[in-house]
Amino acid sequence: MLEVTNLLVFYENAVALNDFSMKVDAGRLVAVIGSNSAGKTTFMNTVSGLIVHTRTKEIRKGGERITLYGQVTFNGEDITALQPNERVEKGLVLCRERHPIFPESDLVENLKIAGYLRKRSEVRETIDYVFHLFPTLERLKTRKAGFLSGGEQQMVAIGMTLMVKPLLLLLDEPLLGLSPIMQKTLVDAVVKMREEAGLTIVITEQFARPILPIIDFGYIIENGMLTMQGTGAELMDSPEVKAAYFGV
Amino acid sequence: MLEVTLIYGFVNSVILALVALGFSLTFGISGVSNFAYGAMYVLAGYVVWILMHKLAIPFFAAAALSVVLTAGLGAALYWFVLLRVRGMVLSEVIATFGVGLAILELFRYLGFTGFEYTLPSFTDGSIMIGSTYLDYQRVWIVGVGVFLAVGLYFFTHYTKLGLAFRGIAQEEKTALSLGINSDRVAGISVAFGSGLAAVAAILILPRGTISVNEGYDVLINAMAVCIIGGLGSTPGVIVASFIIGYAQMITDTFLGPHWKMIVSLVAILLILVIKPSGLFGKQKELEERM
Repeated sequence: MLEVTNLLVFYENAVALNDFSMKVDAGRLVAVIGSNSAGKTTFMNTVSGLIVHTRTKEIRKGGERITLYGQVTFNGEDITALQPNERVEKGLVLCRERHPIFPESDLVENLKIAGYLRKRSEVRETIDYVFHLFPTLERLKTRKAGFLSGGEQQMVAIGMTLMVKPLLLLLDEPLLGLSPIMQKTLVDAVVKMREEAGLTIVITEQFARPILPIIDFGYIIENGMLTMQGTGAELMDSPEVKAAYFGV
Repeated sequence: MLEVTLIYGFVNSVILALVALGFSLTFGISGVSNFAYGAMYVLAGYVVWILMHKLAIPFFAAAALSVVLTAGLGAALYWFVLLRVRGMVLSEVIATFGVGLAILELFRYLGFTGFEYTLPSFTDGSIMIGSTYLDYQRVWIVGVGVFLAVGLYFFTHYTKLGLAFRGIAQEEKTALSLGINSDRVAGISVAFGSGLAAVAAILILPRGTISVNEGYDVLINAMAVCIIGGLGSTPGVIVASFIIGYAQMITDTFLGPHWKMIVSLVAILLILVIKPSGLFGKQKELEERM
């Protein structure tokens, strides 16, 4: 479904991603795991096209800071040069890191804004589905999103991406800054929506422990380079992963 | 006397609201600066006049054409000027204000001043409210003003485009990653705002002559209403219009007409000292509470 080949991203002369390739088949749950500054968010922004938009903006202003090599294909189509909204229309949707929500709108309005590309009836249906997936949100309906807790905001953010009805969902560090119990709730929700909505999902995380048991395949990156790949179980058993991510 | 103040204060308030709606849509709700707003307003008036007197187009056709042309100019302003500086608020303000200055002073340079520059009213005649005469033009102003204010509220809360306006104002990257083409939506917002300026001009300008200076007054009033009401809030625009509208009318009646303009300026200063986010402001309110 998604194939990334020889991705090379520079911010000025700093390498953020170095010759990174990966592949996601339809229906799979794949993780890209790495520590801070490993290039996870750069990877997500490249796949979702945000980096192309930033680059367009810089060129308009008369500068060019980002250099991009390699290829991103989605369902066999080369999307490397597409703007983010064009990729979203094809079904590739990103949930950015640090629970991106519209803080001044209330919860339901956040979901409605997210349903921009969908029909009114679909929007209503999907809002119900989001409340089914995250029952906690139901009673916070009219609360201004900026006043919700981090975990609740993350739920809203994931709900917002579901509003778009994605084929491939990219989750950038969904567990960042959350308590262990909230992490568990979210991991359960990811598994649930994968089964119920038939989504293909790519997660980036630095907390490998809650993620590894649920994934089909994982890539581990360090300093923008692929260092290891394997199924969830293989990665869990690997001594390097244990040392770096489980502290054993 | 009191009756006159009440009725004309009401009309004055609706005029302020009408003038501020377009500015609120672009700057308040979508977060895109359009400080050429006053210039758009005056330009729309002159365009109608030119179409009527030089090209002999009937008034209503000229008015419709002027609204479309002004909206088009707004879109052009976005694509050729704003797009390059998008995201840098100060640059947006300076660039659009500069364009506004250029348009206004161009009209002054070309000699568009004098008593012959007037627009006809929609329908002649007047009605009596109590013992006060109210001409039909002002009735039109109140009618259209109320309709547009209600329309704007529903537009920004219940339509996809209106919701997208509010989305790009809050978090552009999130809006982008949800499939909202922020550049196009922001351009549409500037065009809509300019179109609303033209509608306001066509309704309001028949009360007097079209003058270049009105462009500056309109911008100041629109800014005052939006800042006092709170950026991004349509109910705020209405409440602020009535506060300033009546304050102006009372000042006019009891202190003299030349004090009128100072009302909105004092109001801006006061609100910035007391509650910078405005009466109904959402922007910055979160930061203020934390």
